[in-house]
Amino acid sequence: MLNIRRIGFRLLLALVMLFGVHHTYADQAKVRVIVNDNVNINALSESRVRWIFSMRQTTWEDGSAIKVYVLHEQDPIHQHFCKNVLGMFPYQLERMWNKLAYSGLGEKPILVDDSQDMIDMVSQEPGAIGYVISGSLPPGMRELKISKEG
Amino acid sequence: MMQKNVFLLLFLSSLTFSGLTLAGDLVWHGFGAQGVIQANDSNYINDDGDVSYRLTEVGLNTSYRINQKLRVSAQGIYINGGNRFDEGVRIDYLFLDYQVLNSPRWNINAHFGRYKNYHWLYSATRDVPHTMPSIVLPQSSYFDAFRNASLGSDGISLTAQHLNSLGEWDIRWSYGNTQIKQEQTENLMSTLATGELNHDFDTQFSVSFSPLGTGLSLGGSLLKTDFSYDAGDNDIFTDGKVALERFMLSLSYSAEYWDINAEAMREKTDFQGFFFDQRDADAIAEGLYVQGRLFVSPDVTLLATIDTFDANNRDRNGSAYQQASGGAVPAYFAFRDQLTLGASWDFANNWRIRGEFHKVKGRARLAPVFIPDTVANDSKYWDIWALQIIYWF
Repeated sequence: MLNIRRIGFRLLLALVMLFGVHHTYADQAKVRVIVNDNVNINALSESRVRWIFSMRQTTWEDGSAIKVYVLHEQDPIHQHFCKNVLGMFPYQLERMWNKLAYSGLGEKPILVDDSQDMIDMVSQEPGAIGYVISGSLPPGMRELKISKEG
Repeated sequence: MMQKNVFLLLFLSSLTFSGLTLAGDLVWHGFGAQGVIQANDSNYINDDGDVSYRLTEVGLNTSYRINQKLRVSAQGIYINGGNRFDEGVRIDYLFLDYQVLNSPRWNINAHFGRYKNYHWLYSATRDVPHTMPSIVLPQSSYFDAFRNASLGSDGISLTAQHLNSLGEWDIRWSYGNTQIKQEQTENLMSTLATGELNHDFDTQFSVSFSPLGTGLSLGGSLLKTDFSYDAGDNDIFTDGKVALERFMLSLSYSAEYWDINAEAMREKTDFQGFFFDQRDADAIAEGLYVQGRLFVSPDVTLLATIDTFDANNRDRNGSAYQQASGGAVPAYFAFRDQLTLGASWDFANNWRIRGEFHKVKGRARLAPVFIPDTVANDSKYWDIWALQIIYWF
């Protein structure tokens, strides 16, 4: 019993020491956060984007519904978006969404097949938010300016 | 209580339906899992300790958004875990979700009906296999015999989430009770308990905090709950009450290729009546588990957990407990230390197979609690192994 406690204590200690090495990725490839043209904002902070993609904010400031679109967990663009914009790992987000969907607390975002689907949905659906990695944006949507500060 | 809640739901829903234009959307999710499990030399799964297929979990849930403020959410499950909990179909949750406030800084919701326990790390989706780290959860915090009473309750639950410059905060409060079936009473107390066990009320409060950009989450929760017992004919128990208070601390840390989750609990129980022999069963139990996971690849996860539990912090080795029973119940029923090793593989989209092995020292946290099965559980050391396949959508 004591041994197990000692092992537990050491594990915790090791964990505390590892806090220092946690960091978010700083890759240079640009992920662009896009919204439908009817969304009445031009900029968001990274923590606000995370707040929206973790499905905690479900309505825009004018009271209309936010529709969150995401790519598959293993899609490189999704992984890039999670690490660089949200500052978290895809599995963390997946875990949060599962908790919402299987405990009744909320809803998962809407899954799209690929970037073209993402662009189609965000440009067509009022209140939509999503992300793309590059390329020109068709009419019906625009890019949000993302600021680093909380 | 549940019937009242269902009527309340229907009543509120009817008001909403009549007054608003519907832009509703209906969402479905579900899961199914089947496994094989063995706990030899133990009554944990079955009475003979043989290999068992009684490891089935099936569920279907739906969420209907009536408008931006109101949503109805429900999940039904079928579960079979052998002796671990009572087999059958149950409504896991069914509540009306009213969004009190939703802003860039706050998200506040009230749930009326059968709500879930959102207070512990794994309590909200305890019966949803693919959201759980292991097939058998650390029993110090997630005691199987107590599962139904700790899954959620019929009543009201408030959840608030807040974002500020320090990080993200989750604050939750709930008040309700649950119905305890005779089968559960027998499982928890003894097959000789002929009376009725009532879960009078259950109130919980919890806060968790995730500092921005750290991958860390720290939490604390308080539980206060009362049970009462009305003795039946030829009962070996007498009328009584049990007041239970639990305090928990939790820690989660998520790195890219590994994570750690830990919960420590301290649980105080006060008995009034219950036992003919007026025995002093009041105790403060303590437990701690630390669980580490390694994400070897996007599809493969390795797991190691240590879990320790003492039923009475003044009698950690159980000697006083054994003495009080006149030597009938061995000291090792007063503690439990458990090492778990496991692996899981997501072999296709929404499919997972996993296996685990547990080495256990001690027999605490086994049902029935008050009159332990000393015949089936006749040794200090024992093992559990399990394999499971899961599908979800």
